[in-house]
Amino acid sequence: MYRLNIYIGSGAVLLALVGLFLWIPQDTGTGLIVRVRRQVSIGDALAPTIAFTLMAIGGALLLIERRKPVSTEVRLAPFLHTGALVAVIILGLLLMRHAGPGFLRIADLFGTEPSEYRLLRETFPWKYIGYFLGGATMIGGMASLSAGRLQARTVLIASAVTIGLIALVDLPFDDLLLPPNGDY
Amino acid sequence: MQPLDYIAAGIQAVIFGPAAFELLGVPIPLTLVMVFAGVVTGILVGATPGLAGPMAMAISLPILISFFGYNVEALLPVLGFLIGIMKGATLGGAVPAILFNTPGTPDAYMTTLDGYPLTKQGQSRKALKVAHLSSVSGDTFSDIALFVCAPFVALMVERHLDFPEKTALLILSLSFIAAVIGGSPGKGLISVALGLIAVFIGGGEDFYPRLSLGTDALAGGFSIMTAILGVLIVGAVLKEYEDLWHRSNLSGAREQIVDHGDQRLSRAEILRIAPYIGQSSLVGTIIGALPGIGTTLAAALGYQLGRARYARRRPEGAPDFGEGAIEGVAATEAANSSVSGSNLIPVLGLGIPGNAAAVFIILATDSIGGFSPGPSVFRFSESVVNTELVLVFGLFTAMLFANFVNWTFGGAFMRAATVMVKVPKRTLLPVVLLLTFTAVYAQEPSMKALWFTLGFGVLGYLMRKVDMSPLPFVIAFVLGGSLENSARQAFSATGGDPYFLFSSWISILFLAGSGVTVVLALRQKRTDSTQA
Repeated sequence: MYRLNIYIGSGAVLLALVGLFLWIPQDTGTGLIVRVRRQVSIGDALAPTIAFTLMAIGGALLLIERRKPVSTEVRLAPFLHTGALVAVIILGLLLMRHAGPGFLRIADLFGTEPSEYRLLRETFPWKYIGYFLGGATMIGGMASLSAGRLQARTVLIASAVTIGLIALVDLPFDDLLLPPNGDY
Repeated sequence: MQPLDYIAAGIQAVIFGPAAFELLGVPIPLTLVMVFAGVVTGILVGATPGLAGPMAMAISLPILISFFGYNVEALLPVLGFLIGIMKGATLGGAVPAILFNTPGTPDAYMTTLDGYPLTKQGQSRKALKVAHLSSVSGDTFSDIALFVCAPFVALMVERHLDFPEKTALLILSLSFIAAVIGGSPGKGLISVALGLIAVFIGGGEDFYPRLSLGTDALAGGFSIMTAILGVLIVGAVLKEYEDLWHRSNLSGAREQIVDHGDQRLSRAEILRIAPYIGQSSLVGTIIGALPGIGTTLAAALGYQLGRARYARRRPEGAPDFGEGAIEGVAATEAANSSVSGSNLIPVLGLGIPGNAAAVFIILATDSIGGFSPGPSVFRFSESVVNTELVLVFGLFTAMLFANFVNWTFGGAFMRAATVMVKVPKRTLLPVVLLLTFTAVYAQEPSMKALWFTLGFGVLGYLMRKVDMSPLPFVIAFVLGGSLENSARQAFSATGGDPYFLFSSWISILFLAGSGVTVVLALRQKRTDSTQA
């Protein structure tokens, strides 16, 4: 843990220096103090400057914290596992966003009357396609990844739970939009 | 209006407010129904390992706001539900701790030490009764402390603190939280700094949105929901999943232990545990009133003090602490439950959240509007009605009703909630994740919000991974805007004095306190490391 603290402390100090000397000067409209018509007021750069200074102090404190006799190593495998989980979530979100309009395009190819997703976003089944596919992928994918195998039972449970959530969230609340329907 | 009129108006706002439905021609107040539903939800969530009260509060808040809308009438039902969850979860957390040696919430860990040995001795129902009695007693004691103390704290602040002092007080609160949470002041400060940087992105008074890298995506900044739900909920889900991966199967077959012997809690036993409940309630209430120090420390301290007392007065032949002493269960449960009322003292009195549950109370009031927690809500104005004060007394009424539900039905719900332990985490956690995304989308209907939530979730996971508490991040994110506004106003009010923070003894005292807190925490850390 001591070595990890050195990495975190150094990273925090480095980030703070980048923030203080590159990001804030380049990316704020006003400086630390602003003078307009002889009135002095606090500029937009002051608050982030204090925040980055705090980060530098935090990093420095971490570097001087005394070494523990027992050190803990951070293994790579859990990070890879979590990386795979995040990939499944990203896939779920992408499906959520694009599945509905994608299916509409496919339907157009098969000769149905061309339409826009925006006009269909409150009609069955279009309003549920993205949420169902994205949600079921997320639940089924994460559960399968954790179990180390994909089972039909997991897919069924994921589908049933997502349908249950649709029933729980969408049916009783008229004003509530399921993803991605608010984007259209 | 006189103070008593305000109290009466608050009670009336709950009792004669909008009705949920009619039962035999009698309208049933919506707020009371929501409190009841919140308590039941809280007990179920608390009894489910891997879930916690703040998770349920986070998910339900945007959905409730979408349902009730942004008007003052929505405040009491929404806050009633959230408070119900907060109170129910502390009660429910004891269930898996006692029955399966698995704490439902982190603060229930100490309950396992004596609760599970009692189960192994066939006394699980008695242990649940002790937990129920102690938890609800501690909670009620803490609420009374809140009702008495919050107005005085607020009046003191209102009378003695101006903008510079309020700015210094916010700095003191953030320093205190950074120093005491997580056991490393360095990591605490980094967590606070990250929260402040995140909230400052896209903000400011200039036309150009600061720190936005010239992009439209960052120009609007991060909404409070994406940041908080991301770091607190998505981050927790990712970390829980990783822990689950380490252990092959958490929800495997559990040892079935059959109860035997008398399961009733006798009057003599109640009298035996009463001093432990009283002592722990006091400890938990004091700890709860300090921002940042959570229920886990309260439970640990309550247990240690209980153990010290028990060592002096242990009845002959009675089991020791850790071997199934009902006093151990009582000491822990009273301590961790008595945090929930008093942690609203800084919320209502100062507008400063002390823990994750309090963050969602502030978030609810911020989102709905019409109520700004802080010293001004306790202004007992005689000429003009202070509607915020009426709402506060409505909230107190809702809390009393939640206690009533816990006293009367809580025990039965606790026993029923044992079924929640069987829900497999592997399926439950992705459902929580999907519900979180749905809740964020309900509040901010844009896929961009979901991507930000996931990004903050990864940040929350990494923070947990390196032993950095995400709570200072969350509290800094919530308070960052107020801190900057307060500093701007103080600077203007003092005519552009760069030393405005040193303009009075009170603010100097607060600033000195900030420095001393961090230095003391650092020294404590170095001492601990040397001893380890």
